Parts: sequence; C-alpha cells; structure tokens
Amino acid sequence: MNIIALVKQTPDTAQLSAAMDGLMLSADGGPRIVNPWDEYTLETALQAREEHGGKVTALCLGPPEAADALKTALAMGVDEAVLVSDPAMADSDSLASARILVAAIRKIGDFDLIVGGRAAIDGNTAATAVQVAALLGIPLVSYVAKLRNLDPSDRTVTAVRLLEKARETVTSRLPALITVVKEINEPRYPSLIGIRKAARADIPVWGCEDLGLDPSGVGAGASGVVWRTELPPVREAHIEMIDGGPEDAARTLVDRLMEEKVI
Amino acid sequence: MLTPYEKILFAILAAVSLYLASVTFRRMIRTIKRGRGRLAWDGLPGRLLTGIKALAGQNNMIRNRPLVSLAHTGIAWGFILYMAVNLVDVLEGMVTGFVFLEHAAAGQAYRLLVDLMTLAALAGMAALLIRRFIVKSTDLAVAPNVKLHPRAADGIRRDSLIVGCFILGHVGFRLLGASFDIAIHGPDPWQPVAALAAGLWTGLAPSFLDFGLHASWWIAIGLVLAFLPWFPFSKHAHLFMGPFNLMTAPERTSPGTLDVLDFEDESIEQFGAGRITDLDRTHITDAFACIMCNRCQDACPAYATGKELSPAALEVNKRYHLRNHMKSLATGGEDTEPMLGYAMSESALWACTACGACTEACPVGNEPMFDILAMRRNQVLMESAFPNELKGAFTGIERNGNPWQMAGDRMEWTESLDFKVSTVAEHPDYDVLFWVGCAGAFDPGARDTARSIATVLHRAGVDFAVLGNDESCTGDLARRAGNEYLFSISAEGNIETLNAAGAGRKKIVTGCPHCLHTLGNEYGALGGRYEVMHHTQLIGELAKAGRLALPGRDGTRTTYHDPCYLGRHGGVYEAPRQALAATRPSLVEMARNRNRSFCCGAGGAQVWKEEEEGREAVSDHRFLEAWETGADTLAVGCPFCARMMNDANKRAGEPMRVRDIAEIVAESIQDEQQRERERERHDDR
Ligand code: SF4
Ligand code: SF4
Repeated sequence: MNIIALVKQTPDTAQLSAAMDGLMLSADGGPRIVNPWDEYTLETALQAREEHGGKVTALCLGPPEAADALKTALAMGVDEAVLVSDPAMADSDSLASARILVAAIRKIGDFDLIVGGRAAIDGNTAATAVQVAALLGIPLVSYVAKLRNLDPSDRTVTAVRLLEKARETVTSRLPALITVVKEINEPRYPSLIGIRKAARADIPVWGCEDLGLDPSGVGAGASGVVWRTELPPVREAHIEMIDGGPEDAARTLVDRLMEEKVI
Repeated sequence: MLTPYEKILFAILAAVSLYLASVTFRRMIRTIKRGRGRLAWDGLPGRLLTGIKALAGQNNMIRNRPLVSLAHTGIAWGFILYMAVNLVDVLEGMVTGFVFLEHAAAGQAYRLLVDLMTLAALAGMAALLIRRFIVKSTDLAVAPNVKLHPRAADGIRRDSLIVGCFILGHVGFRLLGASFDIAIHGPDPWQPVAALAAGLWTGLAPSFLDFGLHASWWIAIGLVLAFLPWFPFSKHAHLFMGPFNLMTAPERTSPGTLDVLDFEDESIEQFGAGRITDLDRTHITDAFACIMCNRCQDACPAYATGKELSPAALEVNKRYHLRNHMKSLATGGEDTEPMLGYAMSESALWACTACGACTEACPVGNEPMFDILAMRRNQVLMESAFPNELKGAFTGIERNGNPWQMAGDRMEWTESLDFKVSTVAEHPDYDVLFWVGCAGAFDPGARDTARSIATVLHRAGVDFAVLGNDESCTGDLARRAGNEYLFSISAEGNIETLNAAGAGRKKIVTGCPHCLHTLGNEYGALGGRYEVMHHTQLIGELAKAGRLALPGRDGTRTTYHDPCYLGRHGGVYEAPRQALAATRPSLVEMARNRNRSFCCGAGGAQVWKEEEEGREAVSDHRFLEAWETGADTLAVGCPFCARMMNDANKRAGEPMRVRDIAEIVAESIQDEQQRERERERHDDR
C-alpha cells in the first residue's frame, strides 16, 4: 500500500517566552519543528505500513530548511521524503499550496492513502488538506481519531471522526485523504539508527520546473490571502495566591471565579 | 603413604581432572571475551594487591549481615588455606616418607593452624547450610513478582547444597584423615580437634585404621578432582571470580560514571545491550562472580518497595543464561535471545533509580546498575521503546533545554531577591560560577533553594555569576533513561558554553547533585574538565571560614537524607552535615545513612515518569524512615529529593518540615539579621 504523508515545518510556538519575542519566533532562523499534528500524521502512516506493507513517502512544501522536518520523518521511519521548494512558491495561501502539493502527488504517482494533520499550528487554516482532496477528486475524511479498518484488498477505509459533541464512523473508498487528530496514536520517538539513516539520506527537492508548474500560478501573486506577522497585544495578568487548606482554598477559588464571572 | 597402585591411579585421575577443568575454564574465559571492551589489566601489581586484599579482608563484607559474613569468613579463610593444604597432602601421599615440616616449630604451627581453620570452615559451612535449608532465611529468597530463570530457584538450592556438601566432605574427610593418622602414629598436641576425633577409633584394628587413612585421603582429594572441572558452572566459582572481578574493575571517575558511546563511527550498529554479548566483559564477569547472596537486593529501593526489579535476580538470570549457552557462546555462536525477557521484565528495567546501592553493597564488585542502563540504551537508541512519559522530557531537553518543556526565562527566579544576580555576560570576572540547573530555574520549590544559595553566597561576599539563559539541561536524566545520544548533544552544548564562560579556570557550584555528577564526573570524558562542588560543600567551607554569621535555632531536631548522587556517586558525606551543624540543630541519623542511604525514588529518570507497579512508593518508604527518627526537620541537598520528600510529607499529613540545607542556612542568616536589627533598635532607645 502506498501512503503519502503530508508534513509541514512550523515555528516552535512552545518556545515563545519572555526570553524570545514573537517576531523572532517566526523570523528566519527561529526555532522550527515538525508541525505537531503531523507527528500523528507520520505515526498513522507508519502504523498503516507496518500492518499492510508498502511504502510511506513524506511530502513537504516549504523553504529549503524545511528539509529538517523531512529528516525527522525519515528518522521516524518513512521510506522516502520529497521536499517541494522554490522561491516562487513563497507566501502561497492554502489553495495555492494545495495546487503545488497536488502536482507533487501526481509526480510521486500511485497512492492508496494520503494522511495529513488536522491543521498546521502556524496558519491554523485546516484548509490545505481539504483543498488537496478536492483538487485530486478523492474522498476526504477529516478529524480521524481512530482507523477502525483499513482494507487495501477491499479498497476501503473505515475511520472514526472526532466531532465536537460526537464521534462519527465513516467508511470511504480508497484512495482517500484523511486528516488526523492527536487522539489517534502516540507518535514514536526516532531511534538512533533512524536518525543516522536520516542524516545520510539525500532528499530530492522539486521546484516549479520539476512539477511543470507556471511560477505565476503559485506564490504570493497567485494567492488571495496576504500574510502579515504581528504580535498579540500584551495582556495584563494579575496573580493572586489563595491560602488555606484544600477545602477553604477551593471555596475561595469558586467565589472568586464567580465574582469574575468566569463561571 | 599411598601404595604404588594408588599413586598411578591418582596420577591418571589428576590428569583427567586437570584436562577437563582446562576445557571448562577456557570455555568460561572465551564466554567472557564475547563481551565488549577489555578487562582492565593496567597497573597489574596494584590490581593483584586489590585481589589479595579482597580475599583476605573479605572485601568488607562484614558491614552487611555481620553474623553470616563471619561464618563466610571462616569458610573462606579455611578454604584458602586448604589450597596449600591440598598441595601438602598430595605431596605427602605421593612422596613416600615425606612429612611436611615434621618436627620443626613451623610444622607444629602449620598443623595447629590447619586444625583450627578446619573447625572454622566446618562450623561456618554448617551454619550457612542450616541458615539456607533449615531456617530458610528470607534473605535468600526472591519475591515472586521478580523474573527468575526457571532453572534458578531450584538450581541455586541444588548448587548451594552441592557446594556445601563438597566443602563439608572435603574438609571433613581431611579432618578424619588427620584423626586416623593420630590414631596410628600417636597423639599430636598441635591438632586438638583431630586428636579429639581420634578418640573415636580407640581399640580398632590397625588394618582398619590404615584403611580409614587411605579412604579419607581419597575422598578429601578426590572431591577436589571431581569438583575442579565443574567450578565454572557452580556459584562456587566466586571464590576466584570474585577477586578477579575486583581486580579487573575499570577505572571510573565515580561509581556511577557511564562510558561514552561513539556515535561518529558508522560501523557501529549496536548501541546499548540487547543481548548479553553486547555487555562489557567486566559485566559478563559479574555473572560468574555473583554469589547469589542478595545483598544488592536488600539495598535496592525498587525491590524494597515491591517492584519487579531485583539486581540479584538479574545477575542470577545472566548466569543461568550463560551456563545454558556457554558451549555455543565460547565457540562464537550467535546469541539470539534478548536480555529483556530472560534477565528482567520491562517494568523492572524502568524501575531502577540508578541509585548505585547495588554496586555499593556487592562484595564481589558487581555492577548490576550498569547492565540496566546498558539495556535502557538499547531500548531507547535501537528499539525506541520506553515509557511514553519520558518522551516529553526528551523533547523538552531537545527543544527547550529543560525537561519540563518550559519556555520561560531562566533568570526569573532571581526577580524577588533584594540583590542582583549577574550573568557571566554581565560579569565575566566572577570567581564562582553558580550552575542553577533546570530545577533551580523552573521548579517552584527548587527556586526557593536557588534563591537561598544565592543569598548565602551574596551574604558571605562570594563573587559569583550565573549563565542565565545560556544554561541548558546537563542531560543527566537523558543519560540515565538510556538516551545517550541526547545526553551527548546536551553535554557538547554545555561544554561549549562553559568553556566560553571560562569555567575551566574557575570553580563551579551546583545546586543539584545530578548536575554535580554530570558536570564533575561525566563531562570529562567528552572534553569538559571542571572543578565542581555541591552547594553544601561551599556553604560548609564558608561556615568554617567564619564568613557566615549563623546563630542557629536551638531545639530543632534535624535528620539529613544523603542524596545518591552526592553520597554514593560523589563520595560527599560529611560536608552537608558540617554545613548543617553550623546552624546548630541536633542531628539525628536515619538507620540507613551515608553510603547506605536509601534513594528518594526520583533518580534514574524516575521523576519524569509514573512509578512502576509495586507495593508502595519509594519516597513514602524513605520518608517513613526519616519520620521515625523523631526529627522535626528533614534536611535534603537535592531538588529532586526535596520534591519527593515534600510530596511524601504531604501524603503523611505534613508531620515534618522538608528543607534544603541552603534554605536552613539562609533562614538562619535571616534570623541573625533580624536579631541584629532588634539589637540596634534596642541600643537606639
Ligand atoms: S541502582 Fe539502585 S534501583 Fe537500580 S538496581 Fe541498583 S539498587 Fe536497585
Ligand atoms: S550481585 Fe553481588 S550482592 Fe548481588 S547477589 Fe550477586 S554477589 Fe550478591
């Protein structure tokens, strides 16, 4: 079974602190990680391969340094990794990104399943994967919390979707695209052997030319969305310590919360 | 003494026995050689001395289980003497008319010594057999939840019985032989025990006495011939493998210093120990040296609190595995059985607190803790299979430089102080570098301690600086959890930072024994050599030099908990007590103190995961011991001990005050300042 895992590299928002300002976080050279949701993407893809055999290809769109995210994917155990990177692609919005990804997926060739994370923690649009599925004309099953049955011979997938107030079980034909939430699994920690293999790996980089894309059809010029980075306004915080035994403290806390109309 | 036929028979039997022994001994040596690295042989004279000392002094075994150890000393000394005695006896048997030092005073002394040691060995052996088979001492049992090789439970009993009978038979028949000799040749005042036994034969025919003499000789010596080839399969091998193990022990900067792995060498494909052959040779030797005495198990905090771990069972299981596969291993056969399985369970593997109590307790120098950490390396680096909670701590070290995954400012703890703490960047000419540690920077309780340390240093006029946000986790937890790769990355980064800060030319003081151990004992192998001390050492020095005005608090009763990584691993026992004594409390000791201190339960990365299944929490067990001293204050010297003891204190309804020594000293200083101010006010009026 051929699986494509969509992986994005994002700023490490957990490092945002008094010691690091928000602009530095998103600036070039700021700390970067694999989009945390995509760790679940990778784990889902790897588990599916372990169960059914085949191959996992990690696909990432981003600047050259995004290759690091693919190294992590390789260290975790994916078979192949492809970076799609071209200066012309910078500042693509989700639809433009989806167009690029679709071109890359077509170039990769046959696939049975595409896996993505529920969203990326930077843009947080949760739209790209949806648009990829639409452009490819394949079914989309989003917010998957559990793969109940993945059946390559029957060419179907049955998944449990995590909705706001319910769980929904859906069966779709393959190929399909699923996006996963963190309830689905526990991403593995790369082994040293994996890290070594990843360090040696050569990751192919595909640009507009490789994908047969017209540079004017991608990037900021072809995007409806304009990106601007701004810091959120500083919030005034006030800390109040409540003394007393657990019961008294809890009572005071409840009173204070009601006073502040939090509950 | 022997007839010509007997002499020929003896020569043949001796040759067969020696040949078979050479086969089995070679097999054992080759099996040991399947391990990695080399046994340490440098400075041979010193090492030989170590071995001899260990044999003669019984490696201080007496400090644990004194009575049993005394019985053992009788057997051991008797048996060592018997090696010479056997040679003499063989010579006397084979060379007609030869009697060793027949009339000389030396001969009389020799016979007296042998006679008495025979008694000691027999009495000791009988005592130990009674203890094992009649009293059925629980010291020798292993809890049912601990994994034990299926052959081991019965095997150890059988082995012990055989060894016991062998010693009783060998030494006993030697005694009977001497008694027949006396019955034939007349009384010998220099062999009182044998003379007493000779009384049994009065009135028997000379031919019977002669037969008895020969039979005794044959049984005593024959047992040795029969036993010799069997040695490597028996726990009796500890007789020489014990001293051998102590002699060939590797040099370490501390008893808990792990060796570094070479990640650059691409030809290395196995990290840590998956199979027994992945262990260092010295740790395969451990299995052959093990006496199966369970002293390590007695000392182990995981075992004492009902976890699946027993360091003794680990050595026993290794031994039985080696025993069953010795022939194949010796001839280069592949070992396919993973250690995690027959050697210990997964829960046992992750229950170890890396406290080093097992190593400290073992009379033959075994290091079960090293096997456990080597197996953890395999689980993390090769298998990527480890308790899930540790992943968060690893990711935190990787990304945030601290296991808490805190993105905060490492200087925040200084904000509430009434003086400024400078960073190295602000004040490069400092005298002492205060390594705050992740706990000091982020853990609320440890921040109080860090503030206390800073306050003490400030009041004593010590010119110090901190690294602030350039400081990063030392990697201790990663190392003890088996993530050597992450440790090496952390260490390299910190060594670079420390060198840039000129720390190699200054003194470093840490607020945490784990930082102390990694910076002081472990970074050296990676090129970072520093003079590091624990804050209690520095405070002790300052108090001694009169640089701290400490009025002390009368009436407090304090007990001090030795942190594993300050005590056993760092060898620092007195400095914290001296620092504490400067505040003049009455100090009461727990039953297990100094090198026998019982872990708080945090070490070996335990604090970053759920405690393994067991009867009770290690921290509760230790806290109870502290509480039972009747002290009102429990003094600690480690942020993790503080956290464990604080939690246990809360669970017990807060009967005690848990404080770091630095906090106690800082409080004392504040008291003094308070009094000073009051005195001034008084004087003004
Ligand atoms: S290091 Fe401590 S916890 Fe680990 S096996 Fe040894 S005694 Fe037990
Ligand atoms: S490892 Fe040492 S202390 Fe433990 S059972 Fe064996 S000989 Fe005894």
